Amino acid sequence: MTLDFSTLLPYTDAILEGLVTTVWLTVVTTVAGIALAIVVAYARDGSREGPSGIVSRLLGAYVEVIRNTPFIVQLFFLFFGLPALGVSISATVAALLAMILNLGAYTAEILRAGIDSTLKGQHEAARALGLSRLQSFRHVVLMPAFSRVYPSLISQCIIVMLGSAVVSQISVFDLTYAANFIQSRNFRGFEVYLVVTLIYLLLAVGLRLAFEFVGRRLFAFRQGGSS
Amino acid sequence: MTDFTLWDIVRNLLLAGRWTVVLSLIAFTGGAVVGLVLTLARMGGLWPVRWLIRLYVDLFQGTPLLMQLFLAYFGAAVLGFDVSAWTAASVALTLFTSAFLCDIWRGCVEAVPSGQWQAARVLGLNYLQSMRHVILPQALRLAVPPTVGFSVQVIKGTALASVIGFVELTKAGTMLNNAAFAPFTIFALVALGYFILCYPLSRYARHLEKKLYGAGIR
Amino acid sequence: MFAFAKNRFSRQLVLALCCTVAAGLAAVAVQASDLDTIEQRGTLRVAVPQDFPPFGSVGTDLQPQGYDVDMAQYLADQMELDLQLVTVTSANRIPFLQTDKVDLVISSLGKNPERAAVIDFTEAYAPFFLGVFGTPDAARIDDAAGLSGKTVGVTRGSVEDMELSDLAPDDATIQRFEDNATTISAFLSGQVDYIATGNVVAAQIAERNAERAPTMVFRIKNSPCYIGLTQDNTVLKTRVNELIEQGKEDGTLESMSQKWFHTALPDDL
Repeated sequence: MTLDFSTLLPYTDAILEGLVTTVWLTVVTTVAGIALAIVVAYARDGSREGPSGIVSRLLGAYVEVIRNTPFIVQLFFLFFGLPALGVSISATVAALLAMILNLGAYTAEILRAGIDSTLKGQHEAARALGLSRLQSFRHVVLMPAFSRVYPSLISQCIIVMLGSAVVSQISVFDLTYAANFIQSRNFRGFEVYLVVTLIYLLLAVGLRLAFEFVGRRLFAFRQGGSS
Repeated sequence: MTDFTLWDIVRNLLLAGRWTVVLSLIAFTGGAVVGLVLTLARMGGLWPVRWLIRLYVDLFQGTPLLMQLFLAYFGAAVLGFDVSAWTAASVALTLFTSAFLCDIWRGCVEAVPSGQWQAARVLGLNYLQSMRHVILPQALRLAVPPTVGFSVQVIKGTALASVIGFVELTKAGTMLNNAAFAPFTIFALVALGYFILCYPLSRYARHLEKKLYGAGIR
Repeated sequence: MFAFAKNRFSRQLVLALCCTVAAGLAAVAVQASDLDTIEQRGTLRVAVPQDFPPFGSVGTDLQPQGYDVDMAQYLADQMELDLQLVTVTSANRIPFLQTDKVDLVISSLGKNPERAAVIDFTEAYAPFFLGVFGTPDAARIDDAAGLSGKTVGVTRGSVEDMELSDLAPDDATIQRFEDNATTISAFLSGQVDYIATGNVVAAQIAERNAERAPTMVFRIKNSPCYIGLTQDNTVLKTRVNELIEQGKEDGTLESMSQKWFHTALPDDL
């Protein structure tokens, strides 16, 4: 059995389709996941001041459950477990939901580390200057925290993109699904997996470059301050 | 057809959970050994060595673990090695772990202020001596919390070994679900199993981090 | 913080090239085990399903059981070898054979041209009819054209996957799952309302889940199961064929059929 990459040529369309799915899943997850993380970080930041702390504790539980269980189990739970409760969701929705919940939990934790390192006095000073809680959160807490943890954020998004390979297991036509599909047709598993692995590698590089491009715009005025 | 009681499900998950633990230990120990060698080689080696190690780290950090497992399992056989699901999962997870640990530890060694290096060299210590007596003890203190934290990722990573047919916690879950069909219960129990393994480690890592940070400002 | 981006990019491109070249150079032939090798080893390694009742599923001790498992045991006993069962999924059973992880695949394997190009088959050892099945209240369909606009679940790489891919109209959605376990779970969860699978498998699912009992909507084809082995493994193939023939004559296969399928073995098998 020698390597023969030409047997992949008839399947270029499948690889392209998988690539498109992986990319759009990643883009939607990145945007929605970061948005979710900001909401979680805001709620947790606020409930520190609040009397009950129950919201904070619930959100804390969400973050811990996601961070301490494997993505593939979360995915199976959503895809097979929810319908058993009468909530039916398609494979793509299950995949997207699992990815967003995942990125949201990790990013919330990353943001929290950034927020915790913001001096408490700054927040209070901003409130004293008459900024609303939301304004002060946005300008004094969130943005500096964001620029401080931006490198960790990039890594986390790449990890989620690579982790999305698992959604192939519930029949979402992503890049890995394409690889498995081709393997089941031409029985050239090694060649297929090698090529698809390289595509993932290039995607990871591309994602990093895109993030760094956005980061340069977003935090241009803070360059001096970030490390 | 066989009927599964809740106890049958729990019992089988516990039995399979052993293999999750064993595989995690193998991956973590193997990964730590390989990672340590790579870290040392990367800090002291010639530029081609350093360059190769960076490539190695980038390769494992830039591709899905699932693909690494597929390649180790089916690829190794094409290259002439006969590997079982055990071997493939151990090897792939060890390499994956070593790449991440190498990256974490490099960061820790670099975080030791360069003045410490210079001081050690001025005192007449050679590279290995300064590494062993001055840099590593300090780097080690920095390295413990992220290393414990990463062990959680290793445990979760073993779940993917289910895809190449290794019967651990996740695979046992899908097998049981097929026979007993109780997805909600079974996958909740599987998730609980991982949570019990991972949560104490996560907590411990955070505790260590706080302690280190607290000691740091003093 | 952004300075090394370009550097990293080029490094990874080089890496990609290196890997491809290295893999190309290193590829060597995998030697399949012939009958002599197997007898020297003393163990017959057989790939069986663990997610496809009644051919192979797990009991409460997670050990495989079923028609395919009994078949493997029968062959090993007759050849006076120890039996090593390796559980596989539909998608990876051929690679297991190609990479010499097993000697035989007894895993409700149907014959098709794609497979015949890479592996060899013995005589048929079990009956199997493929069809599309729906839930009891799913819309009735007469043929493949009726699948228009519908979603069908199927196990990737199975004969029914290949057949359905050819038959189904363009606007039918075929959701392919990694293994039979996932396909069946998807059907039982309500993720898909139709699945393509074998008649006996559907009967088993129906037995366990009355409210979503799969009912045949149309038949795809008769596709008996064959034992798979590597190409040019003539001596092994002849030996297994003799044993299949012997099993048909002495009633072994008949009693296995009664035990697992609850019907007689068809005469034309």
